[in-house]
Amino acid sequence: MDSSRPNPDAPEMASEIVGKMGFELAFVEEGRDSGLLPLNSLLMDLEEYTVPVAPPQLVQGIGTARGWLEQILDGTGVFGVDDIRNLNAWHAWMTEALGVWKKGAALPACPPEWIPGTAPAAPTPVAKPTTPVPAVAATPALPRAPVSPPPASPPVGPSADEPAIRLNLKDDADLLREFHGESQELLQNIEQGVLVLEERPADSNTINSIFRAFHTFKGGAGFLHLDALRDLAHNLESLLDAVRRSELQIHKGIIDLILAGADTLRQYTAEIGVQIQGANAGAPIVVPTRQLTQRLKAALRGEAVPASASVPVVPPVPMASTTPPVPVPSPAVPAVPVASVSVPVGDPKAAEPGAAAPRRDTAAADGASGFVKLDTRKLDTLVDLVGELVIAQSMVVQHPEIQRLADSGLSRSLRTLGRITSELQRNAMSLRMVPIRGTFQKMTRLVRDLATQQQKQLQLVLDGEETELDRNLVEELADPLIHMIRNSADHGIEMPDEREAVGKPRLGTIRLSAAHQRGGIVIRIEDDGCGLNRERILAKARERGLIAPDAVLEDPDIFALIFAPGFSTAETVTDLSGRGVGMDVVRRNIDKLHGKIEIQSTQGKGTAFAILLPLTLAIIDSLIVGVGEERFIVPSLAVRESIRPEPGSVKTVHEKGEVVTVRGRLTPILRLGRHLGIPTRSNDPSEGIVVVVESGDDARGLLVDELIGKQEVVIKNLGQTFGNQNLLAGAAILGDGRVGLILDVDTLVKCRPQGAAPVRAHTP
Amino acid sequence: MATTPDPKAPAGPAAQPGRYLTFTLGAESYGFPVLSVREIIRLCPITPVPRMPAYIRGVINLRGKVIPILDFRAKFQIATGDYGDRACIIVVQVGDSPSTQTLMGAIVDAVEEVVSLNAADLEAAPDFGGAPDTRYIMGMATIKGGVKTLLDPRKIFLEEGTLALPPSAESQS
Repeated sequence: MDSSRPNPDAPEMASEIVGKMGFELAFVEEGRDSGLLPLNSLLMDLEEYTVPVAPPQLVQGIGTARGWLEQILDGTGVFGVDDIRNLNAWHAWMTEALGVWKKGAALPACPPEWIPGTAPAAPTPVAKPTTPVPAVAATPALPRAPVSPPPASPPVGPSADEPAIRLNLKDDADLLREFHGESQELLQNIEQGVLVLEERPADSNTINSIFRAFHTFKGGAGFLHLDALRDLAHNLESLLDAVRRSELQIHKGIIDLILAGADTLRQYTAEIGVQIQGANAGAPIVVPTRQLTQRLKAALRGEAVPASASVPVVPPVPMASTTPPVPVPSPAVPAVPVASVSVPVGDPKAAEPGAAAPRRDTAAADGASGFVKLDTRKLDTLVDLVGELVIAQSMVVQHPEIQRLADSGLSRSLRTLGRITSELQRNAMSLRMVPIRGTFQKMTRLVRDLATQQQKQLQLVLDGEETELDRNLVEELADPLIHMIRNSADHGIEMPDEREAVGKPRLGTIRLSAAHQRGGIVIRIEDDGCGLNRERILAKARERGLIAPDAVLEDPDIFALIFAPGFSTAETVTDLSGRGVGMDVVRRNIDKLHGKIEIQSTQGKGTAFAILLPLTLAIIDSLIVGVGEERFIVPSLAVRESIRPEPGSVKTVHEKGEVVTVRGRLTPILRLGRHLGIPTRSNDPSEGIVVVVESGDDARGLLVDELIGKQEVVIKNLGQTFGNQNLLAGAAILGDGRVGLILDVDTLVKCRPQGAAPVRAHTP
Repeated sequence: MATTPDPKAPAGPAAQPGRYLTFTLGAESYGFPVLSVREIIRLCPITPVPRMPAYIRGVINLRGKVIPILDFRAKFQIATGDYGDRACIIVVQVGDSPSTQTLMGAIVDAVEEVVSLNAADLEAAPDFGGAPDTRYIMGMATIKGGVKTLLDPRKIFLEEGTLALPPSAESQS
């Protein structure tokens, strides 16, 4: 979350925050402080998102609430009757004002008695029509297409001999930065691989990994239209491919070639690094590659490669000229997959000082926000420790001895401690979670380029971009997604004329969506192309010797063949979709995340890939309810509202199901205690609370004994012991250190406790 | 995934000489290979999981990890009553590969000691006539005049702990 940038979605976000504040307000009690800190931090969020862009009336309103909260925080530390009344009135006003703001209409002034100071009449010019704020984009499902002009055609270098590349710093700055970072890692991998090859030239794993590194390099360079770079990587990849297929015997000369290639790539990378930082921006980058390319081609033809001694070796990268050297953190032991996450450097609280230090300088020189790569284990430890801190803090605050002390200084300090702790916790939690939006939007660019390149008509439809997932999941997903979308565009979607001939629109659609689904996240890549061709897959698999010539396979097994290493049905090798290395890598990447891929395909209709990822670490907003002596966690997303039913308002229908009317709708009731086999405190519904939950179009009221509170929880997997039940979606550690169970709302809504079918909920 | 216990399934590997952690359940004494025991913790609040068999006591928070707790008294049909002061939870690590390894816990009445058993102390598990519970027994040990039943943690935790409970009829959509 970048607070410095005004967010175009500000009205939406503000409404969401104010909605959350309403939720907190519902739990506020006179003479207690519960809800004070959450309200305070929500208000801070509101200020952050809204104040820079909001009209003055809203800013004033927010300022008023800020004043009240400060007063409470600095004063008694608990809510008074007036405070609660004020805050509720404020909430109602704010909700309305935000609604008006969203429509872009003139805002009502905030009530004069709220304005601090003396003269209630003067400060706000009454309802002065504000410039309408641009309405929020009306089509959230559609990607906001980057407005950059189509990439310039390959630039002509100044030297006719050596090809040059020119960076499009204006449009691609972020991508280039990422490419630069990734390249350094890849080069490191290649060099390490070469060291291994010198020891064991036949090590196929190493050959494969170098091959993949070049492949990824090529993909990135092709994506950014760095043609010379892409061509070189392509040739290097071809060389490794030949070695991998045992068409070429590896020897010293080839290893030298790989190293020379890596050095040349490194020179490019260094130059790119210099330009990203603002020096020589836009100047063509020329690195001599011609000779190297010739040697590569000669090697590919199987001609003798001159030994390294007779070849002018490309000197080590002269990085020092304009750039401070960028120390790449030396990778951990190769056996440990270095899962790393990026953390914006701008937030010094967040970054671990030791790890951050080496790259600070470059980030500062950069002027923009930089990133540090952190080992996720460090982040995990941090999050765990913060969790422990929160519990320890509440133990201190609630200690009876402490509570007896009536020292105002102490209680003030404790409140400060509490505020900092909860802020720290929120920050630590959010460090790991990012919306998948960034990754998804990168794909828009990819699809546009693919369309141009292949003269196909393509559109990418995005859905669920706001789905938050673990940062390292997002990072690890980018690569497989690129491969799969390329695959869909390349092999799935037909040429416009072919599509028209079979009665499809000329415009092919690729749909990319993300959603939370029972206990996990599912990402779908669907295209309306030609579907997988069973016969061709089978033929190719036989040809490659992947299956026995007479093997009889079911569809899912046939489709699974496309993930086999070295398999591809593409007739030609293009620089974007490669040689079938893609799907192999995709599966490896997904396996690494403990996920799985499912394929559905209908010939002529299209193909859908579903990547199912476990929810290893995700945080949800939740409502904690009490049933008898037990507590359960209900994800807030699924909760529509909660009511205390009037005596007699719960009716029995057909002597079977119980229903209650909520806002004019008949809502079936599920007595949670009875359903779970837990004795409840009372049998009378009017002594309990009905929490109305939704799943899809269905709604159901869960009858519980009480609402205990609201909390952000980290979802933990229940493990295989409970893998076979569908009642619980997971567990979480609650504030007192005990485990709370997360109810699976889908199951609860859809089950038929007393034979009554759930009633369709109608959206008003 | 383990399925419903098959009474004809072969018993686990025979007990090997080595060090065992012994503990009591009711009047009986049992042992686990010490290598599989990760730690012993005091009895702590256990969150019951609804609709589980009685021997699944629930889950606890072990320093941020949620681990299931088995109740051996219920499992072995030993008269249940309140656990005393010496009751504790033995946390074991089961699973063959790093990706399937999990931590699980079991409540026992008391932990006794770690004993070294050599081959002479060990006997094969007696045949109780196909009673299902013998499947978890790796062998018997006679030490200091007492008989200790050596349990196979892998079998007892993985097969009993991995529930293949069909979703209850009413919760099927």
